[in-house]
Amino acid sequence: MGKIKRILLTIALLAIVVTFTTQGTLAYYTTTGQATNVVTSGNIRFIVHETTDQGDEFPSEGVTVFPGAVVSKQVSFENDCEHPFYLRAKIVYSANDENLAAENCFKLDIDTQHWLLKDGWYYYNGIVEAGQTTPYLFTKAEVVGDAVNNSYIGKTLNLSVVAQALQSENNPLTGEDVTTAAGWPQE
Amino acid sequence: MKRIACALIALLLVLTGALPALAENGQVTYEGPAGDFVFAPGSEYSLTDLFPNFKDVMPGDSLTQKITVKNDASNQVKVKIYMRSLGAHPDSVDFLSQLRLRVAVAEGNDMAYMFDAAADQTAQLTDWVCLGTLYSGGVVDLDVTLDVPTTLTNEYSQQIGYLDWQFMVEEFPIEKTDPTPPKTGDASDLLPWAIALVAAAALFVVLLVFKRRKQVAEEQ
Repeated sequence: MGKIKRILLTIALLAIVVTFTTQGTLAYYTTTGQATNVVTSGNIRFIVHETTDQGDEFPSEGVTVFPGAVVSKQVSFENDCEHPFYLRAKIVYSANDENLAAENCFKLDIDTQHWLLKDGWYYYNGIVEAGQTTPYLFTKAEVVGDAVNNSYIGKTLNLSVVAQALQSENNPLTGEDVTTAAGWPQE
Repeated sequence: MKRIACALIALLLVLTGALPALAENGQVTYEGPAGDFVFAPGSEYSLTDLFPNFKDVMPGDSLTQKITVKNDASNQVKVKIYMRSLGAHPDSVDFLSQLRLRVAVAEGNDMAYMFDAAADQTAQLTDWVCLGTLYSGGVVDLDVTLDVPTTLTNEYSQQIGYLDWQFMVEEFPIEKTDPTPPKTGDASDLLPWAIALVAAAALFVVLLVFKRRKQVAEEQ
């Protein structure tokens, strides 16, 4: 075998060795997979309960009243979500005649032990845990005889309850009571 | 005695059943060769969802999610596992852009975050990032942290955000220079079990011998 042939053979063998070595370090298979990950945000929900002292729902069409009458209307709030919250409620009065004032027509037995009045809002003095229902804000409304005169005959007076809840998780109080919690909506 | 044994077995079953429920990790399992990735646990929103802990999040939350990436392929190959983010789905960008997401390889938690940005971004995971080289049974854990700002407003309540991640493997043959035996998920010590097995076998033989001698003595 000539010298050149031996050199060529050596080079060829080296090439084969290098090729096998390289194949040994290259990836010989790849695959990919895709995950669709999901983040969801929660919310806070509550239910306003309006019942009579007989345990019935307060009639949505309202009741006929006379001066001095006492109407049973028990108002409470149920936490209907997985998160605890602070809660405040406001009572809004109105009449179907804009010439009539409704604010002074009712006297309510507000539970001042559990509800704190500030700036027109009644704040529940505690945290409403998931599934918990607050004590009644009030249980009856008396139609004030001095305020409801003959001009109210045949008219409709509305006593509405508006409430707002504020998450208590990650939201510690900065003061002594729930009125100091951060995040109450601006009016 | 039977009652105690039954109670112990029941307790053991309860404990073993409860452990996975307590630690709901994301799982990415490569079942090669020529196999697919399997993602768990999934959710009602996505079968490949790796974020069971990031549901129903609230302002101010800082939540963590461990995700275990495992090579379940045969002993004949080792794999390099990579991941990248494709970002949020178009209709999820607004919501997820409010949240901060961080991802780190959980090597004692001393590694810098390989992803730290708004959750809708691809950021440092735009290109493939190698999580490591894994032998059969090898795992790498990811720590994912989601921060929800306290400033998140009501408009972002009850939102659903979709975020895609991709994983890729490159398979390599085992080489002579690779450590042996390959790392597996079971590191329990077999010696006590082996000793117990030998002792039980010896006891069995002794009992047989005694029984045989007794039989012979009775026959004589």
